[in-house]
Amino acid sequence: MRRLLDITGLRAGYGASRVLNGLSVHIDEGESIGLFGPNGHGKSTLLKTISGLLRPTAGSIAFDGNDITTQRPPAVVAAGLIHAPQGNTLFGNMRIAETLELAAFSKRAKAEATRRIEEVYVLFPRLAERKQQFARTLSGGERQMLSIGCALMCAPRLLMLDEPTLGLSPKLKEELAGAIAKISKTGVPLIVVEQDVEFLLSLTDRLYMIEHGEVVREISSANAPDHEEVMRLYFGAEGAH
Amino acid sequence: MDALLATLVSGLVLGSLYALMSSGLSLVWTTLGVFNFSHGALMMVGAFVAWTISEVLGLGPVVGILSGTLAAGLIGVIIERLLVRPFYNNRNMLLITAMTTLAAMVILERGAQMIWGARLKQLPRLVPGEVQILGTTISAHEALLIVLAPLILVALWRFTVMTNRGRSLRAVGQNQDSAALLGIDVPVAFALAFGISAALAGLTGALLGSIRFITPTMGSEPLTKAMIVVIFGGLGNLGATAGAAYLIGFIEAFLIFGLGLYWTPFVLFLLMILVLLFRPNGVFGGK
Repeated sequence: MRRLLDITGLRAGYGASRVLNGLSVHIDEGESIGLFGPNGHGKSTLLKTISGLLRPTAGSIAFDGNDITTQRPPAVVAAGLIHAPQGNTLFGNMRIAETLELAAFSKRAKAEATRRIEEVYVLFPRLAERKQQFARTLSGGERQMLSIGCALMCAPRLLMLDEPTLGLSPKLKEELAGAIAKISKTGVPLIVVEQDVEFLLSLTDRLYMIEHGEVVREISSANAPDHEEVMRLYFGAEGAH
Repeated sequence: MDALLATLVSGLVLGSLYALMSSGLSLVWTTLGVFNFSHGALMMVGAFVAWTISEVLGLGPVVGILSGTLAAGLIGVIIERLLVRPFYNNRNMLLITAMTTLAAMVILERGAQMIWGARLKQLPRLVPGEVQILGTTISAHEALLIVLAPLILVALWRFTVMTNRGRSLRAVGQNQDSAALLGIDVPVAFALAFGISAALAGLTGALLGSIRFITPTMGSEPLTKAMIVVIFGGLGNLGATAGAAYLIGFIEAFLIFGLGLYWTPFVLFLLMILVLLFRPNGVFGGK
């Protein structure tokens, strides 16, 4: 099986504090993965390091056979590795339509911009209704839609979503989960960070549990844990009843 | 009545000058969050280079003005690279770059003094002759400035709103990480903003070089006025900055007419202090 993304022994952090401690994960061609685990243990840091916002101190990242360990964000985006960050506020003083048009910034994305913007408006009709609205006037759910919409405009060959449903109402969460499932069905592989393991299992093929900047457990949908085991994973043996 | 119209026209000339200067300052501020104190010196460089190309090399004022614009833009990019970029992620970036761009101003002014000397210089007018506006006679060159300024401002506005390259400058100013994750090269956007702003300053200087004398310190007075303009209009909005530029131009022209040249700067600075006290985000500033 060909590896689409291959990360080995990754170490990274902020200044003196190390967050990733030799983490290794991979995605094979045609699959999607999920990342879960307690907050502050390196999931978002991992995505930032992959997309080039953070430079790793050790380890390697290969995308589609090419080493991108030390690439800066423009090169990573040009390669098609797209990251929709957590709680993304984007650009408050920019209108929805121009934000989406701007998101097709790389040469490869620009060629598909006209088709993709229509797809984004079909996927998120709320954005189509608010084309001329400034991003700062959007609700949390609408911002999340715009963020995912922007990621789609970048012409992703692998899409990384960091807690796309964080802080949303159950109804909105369902709406976004549906949209993400639709994106996945179009054949875009995903890396999704979420706390909700059941949600992740419904969306992806394999899950990594990340703790203290390392992979502590790997789960595939085939041997999916039940609710109680998930509780045990999060809170330890004593926490589950 | 005639005096009133003459004052209006004179305000229009001043406003055009300030609009060109302050829009560049505003562009750098919205993209990098830096106040460029060497902006006036870049204007001076544009004027001197235009003079050298046009008068010393004899290539004429059009080639001169274009060269002055380009040279100032290039030096702007160099200033960004050497004196601003090393401090991007510093917590005190605003303060440090205030000092480094002030240093750039001193270096450029002293450098110009060494290269071109202290003798006053002037460019020939781009268009000869005179024009009647509202019954007032002004030089055709000043009339050109009045026409050119809004055209350049509209072009700049269209660039930042209609094109992805221009939008990327606004995006970088609002959220660097998000911009980077869309594939925008943040340092390239910074250099571009600085370069365009400096080129605008150079163009202004080259155009002004036929109206005023070209000296190493010719940029400091327009920079001071541009500062008053951006405080008046609020930094960060091209439309508000341009509006404030013309407003300050008219106020200045009427103050000169009514109070004389001596007291005008006092009143302008008093106005600036009042704006800072009561409308710290500018007269047109919303938030």
